[in-house]
Amino acid sequence: MIKTWDLDPNFKYEIMKEPGGEHLTSCFQCSTCTLGCPLTEIIPSYNPRKIIQMSLFGMRSEVLSNPDLWVCLICQTCTARCPQDVRIADLLGAIRRIAEREEEAGKLKIESPRPRFDKAFEHQLAKYGRLYDMGLAMEYYKVKEGSFFKGMMAMSKDYKKFGMRLFKKGKMGVKSMLPEKVKDRGVMKKIFEQMGERR
Amino acid sequence: MSMKYAYYPGCPSGTTAMEQDISMRAVFENLGIELVEVEDWNCCGALEVEDPELVYALNARNLAIVEKEGLNIVTPCSICYYNLSRSNNALKGDEELRARVRSIDDSLAYNGGVEVKHVLDVLANDIGIEELRVRIKKKVKAKVAPYYGCYIGRPPETAFDDPDAPGLMDGLIEVIGGEVVAFNYTKTKCCGGPLMMTVQDVAYKMARNVLESAKNAGADCIALACPLCGMMLDAKQEDIEEFFGIKIGMPVLYITQLVGLALGIEPDKLGLNKNVVDTKEIIGKVM
Repeated sequence: MIKTWDLDPNFKYEIMKEPGGEHLTSCFQCSTCTLGCPLTEIIPSYNPRKIIQMSLFGMRSEVLSNPDLWVCLICQTCTARCPQDVRIADLLGAIRRIAEREEEAGKLKIESPRPRFDKAFEHQLAKYGRLYDMGLAMEYYKVKEGSFFKGMMAMSKDYKKFGMRLFKKGKMGVKSMLPEKVKDRGVMKKIFEQMGERR
Repeated sequence: MSMKYAYYPGCPSGTTAMEQDISMRAVFENLGIELVEVEDWNCCGALEVEDPELVYALNARNLAIVEKEGLNIVTPCSICYYNLSRSNNALKGDEELRARVRSIDDSLAYNGGVEVKHVLDVLANDIGIEELRVRIKKKVKAKVAPYYGCYIGRPPETAFDDPDAPGLMDGLIEVIGGEVVAFNYTKTKCCGGPLMMTVQDVAYKMARNVLESAKNAGADCIALACPLCGMMLDAKQEDIEEFFGIKIGMPVLYITQLVGLALGIEPDKLGLNKNVVDTKEIIGKVM
């Protein structure tokens, strides 16, 4: 049962202000996004159409705490097929960023480790300008597991065989243990400080 | 051919996808097309930088560097292509955004003079199937599943092939003497790569689907054009086999490696010793 007094009529505007969320109100609930989504073959309950409807209703807390937000692959199949140009993949990204800000403000706890992964990834770029796989994995596992030691244990369990496989092919030598850096790292820092919205 | 492109290798080019970088450079050298690596390029933002404006700013720097050279840019990675291309569109069409990005740093001053291309587009359209037909020295007599994945036919603003029935890679496979297997339902499905680190079982199920579809279609190998797909389908194939208790054994080659074989380039010079699943069987089909 939806209680109208629990709804936030401004939620749709909040989403539409976020880059990627602009086309939310174009949705007429045809469900083309959901029918074509490759995830629904694996997670039958996955339903982006429903997330959009709930957003339009103003079910802010239900939407922001919905674990399905964090399994979208951004494969853009929905965006390509949507007859209303809602740009669903970008829209879900906009909602994810609102949820992340809510978490930073202490108002929400996101169960998925994905925001931790994305942030660890961004940190590599802000520091080096390029992706540093080892740095990403070490930071992500440390944050995900709660300590450096636990992180290293979990990482070695998940990636030992994979790492050996790459090592044997010469893809994970000494060179990849160290980060590749752009020369102009000052500009990377500036980009993340001045353009990023959630630092 | 007196063509010249700025080359954006992307972050995996030095590590997990080094065979893509090696084969791309070898194929272009063989065709007499000059690749000038983008000086001091930075990461495109991949799929993890979720703020579109941050992606635009990151790529404004890459595009501005290329614009000074007066070249167009080519990348072998579908994700880099998606980010470079959508940033290019956004920056070209929005003066206010360009000004805002420029105000961060002078090195981000981009005026919209660059075209962004995916290697598949350059091979099939800029160089062209007919030109390649003339250049080809050998036949690659393999049954190939052309796997397009995402960002080639979608989203519409950056797509350069059909979203549901793309054909550029099919055309390349045919011209090198290969046989395209029936793979239509799966060829544009996501490999699961973006969830590899956060929802592993879902990612593995998606990758398994691609691998098994290719196998069931009778393919000798999968051809692809994205390092994340390459990591999922090739480097993680053993993990996927172990996870589900199945055996797949499907070689996975970058399209540049297959084209290179047909151009008569030595397998090692195409990095075919770097693919994780053994490629000898495919090399044995080159006549």
